[in-house]
Amino acid sequence: MSMGRFLLKRSVQGVFVVWGVVTAVFALRYVTPGNPITFVAPLDAGQELREQIARELGLNRPFYVQYFDYLVSLLQGDMGYSYIQGIEASKLIFARLPATVELAVAASVVAVVLSIPLGVVSATRRHEPADYAATSFSLVGISTPNFWLGIMLVLVLSVQFGLFPTSRRGIGLAPAIGMLVTQFDFSGLVNWLAHITLPAITLGTYFTALITRLTRSGMLDELGKPYVRASRAKGLPETLVRYKHALRNTLIPVITVLGLQLGTLIGGAVITEAVFAWPGLGTLLIDAINARDWPLIQGSLIVIGTGFVLINIFVDALYAYINPQVVH
Amino acid sequence: MFSPRTLRNLRKELRQSALAKIGIVVVVVVVLVAIFAPLLAPHNPTNQTLDDSQLPPLGFSKTTTETSSEIVNGSVEVVNETVTVSAKPKYPLGTDALGRDMLSRVIYGARTSLLVGLFGTVIAATVGVAVGLVAGYYGGKVDDALMRSADIMLAFPSLVLAVALVGLFGRAVVRLPDPLVQAGIAPNMPETFALPGTVIIVVGLVNWVWFARVARGEALSINGEEYVKAARSVGADDGFIIRKHVLPNSVTPILVLATIQIAAIILLESALSFLGFSGTSLSWGFDIAQGRDYLSSSWWISTVPGLAIVLTVIGINLVGDWLRDALDPGIEGEGGGV
Repeated sequence: MSMGRFLLKRSVQGVFVVWGVVTAVFALRYVTPGNPITFVAPLDAGQELREQIARELGLNRPFYVQYFDYLVSLLQGDMGYSYIQGIEASKLIFARLPATVELAVAASVVAVVLSIPLGVVSATRRHEPADYAATSFSLVGISTPNFWLGIMLVLVLSVQFGLFPTSRRGIGLAPAIGMLVTQFDFSGLVNWLAHITLPAITLGTYFTALITRLTRSGMLDELGKPYVRASRAKGLPETLVRYKHALRNTLIPVITVLGLQLGTLIGGAVITEAVFAWPGLGTLLIDAINARDWPLIQGSLIVIGTGFVLINIFVDALYAYINPQVVH
Repeated sequence: MFSPRTLRNLRKELRQSALAKIGIVVVVVVVLVAIFAPLLAPHNPTNQTLDDSQLPPLGFSKTTTETSSEIVNGSVEVVNETVTVSAKPKYPLGTDALGRDMLSRVIYGARTSLLVGLFGTVIAATVGVAVGLVAGYYGGKVDDALMRSADIMLAFPSLVLAVALVGLFGRAVVRLPDPLVQAGIAPNMPETFALPGTVIIVVGLVNWVWFARVARGEALSINGEEYVKAARSVGADDGFIIRKHVLPNSVTPILVLATIQIAAIILLESALSFLGFSGTSLSWGFDIAQGRDYLSSSWWISTVPGLAIVLTVIGINLVGDWLRDALDPGIEGEGGGV
């Protein structure tokens, strides 16, 4: 099978998973208790008003008609109107999406940049102080709830020392870059960096710790294998053996686990947003759930689920590139 | 359940690893604290003493500025007075905003965390192992159908799914009578213990997929073994083979996974309580959320329960590392955290 066919096959599977996601999310409204109309109608609404609201929202039709209608609208990018705000749900969701993506990417960058060198150093200097420091850090890192870490960072760095803002997103990356390009003004970028630093550390620490652990144990495995001894014996430089051969083979299982853990990253983003009042999808979803704003709940869940499926296909492609065996 | 060789490996690994010993000690202490909470807690964790609110832990003091206005010579003057509040020995870890004892709350919080971790993992393991064994054993269409549904589950991050399910199904709580209080040993303690029912079911149901993957892999690899073929050829039915051959051979990796999952579920529970999706107020995550409003005046309200979570989860993870290193089931990084 060629790489292209492999990706095609994964994409077709992905389409079915997304369809399943949409169906599951749609079904959620029918299996959860509570009539959505109760949350939308005024408290003293009579039967007549409630029926009128149901008609306006299309909730009086049989569920299969609603389901089919929802699927058709969804394909046209229409997720309905928010019950509470009366604005198109898709508009609200896509206005919030960049903030969440920005946060998740920043956290991943923090994690990858720190963890792989840490893991490699830890494995190549086994039982030295650097190794103990790295393993202790990673044990504490995977055991710390990220929301608490965020609060502690705010407590020390924001409340005590006033180094970073305690919450909110600030100007955002795109306008910050715009300021830099059009006015040669760095202050937007500084503002962006000040706001994203603590949330990115909060979200990234678990992954930094996890990847450090995986890289360390993977490297130790690889460095003990015969091919490493053979390469050393024939006189290859140690850096080549370590970084070209051993590290490359280590990254294969690391990427597998990362693919599996991406959900944790997105879930972590939801709670990190709650800690820092970050205006992303997570805070939008939590507010929507508390208000039973169904179009918004369904839309956010579908966007999160679909995004997750897409990232997974990307990870699979990356995986196939590093380890061509999986394609066959 | 374990072969002598397995037990020997466990003992050998334990002798060699100081970290494994630390992990076991921490877990045993936390379990004992949770069981004997009514005897160990110095105060009723829900009792409010407003005169003693926001007291610092022993060894710390806090200074606050009290502003009052006085009328001097017919004009209003604002007087700022610096007051030093010192710790009281009866509240070793300080008190929260409503004057409740932090130590007692941390002790009772251990119950919530461990019970949710344990019951949640049992639910996840039961559902996941059943699905995984059936999928791996039968293969083909059954396997496809079950694993595609697992894919749909996996498309939702477990925290997102848990928030949605608990939020939408409601925060049901089961009130269990506390046997120690019923027996009259700890008269001043809460008579019932609130178990967050929805949370337990939900954290179990969002985590079954990890068990299904592991169990399926085991079933697939065992399926081709001679003794399974032999059992089938003498006419043993599928249920018998799954129970007698496939399941026992999957115990080791499932046990290791379960240990990691308890830690992951404790983190998930704390996150749900933090976000207000729990139903019980005696939870470490709930107290961390409470303390956020008082970060600048009373840092300990959020700090103390967080340290309890970190310590507990480190202990469980160390035990998990010990089991993994001793039993080597070939799973790594399955699970997930918060």
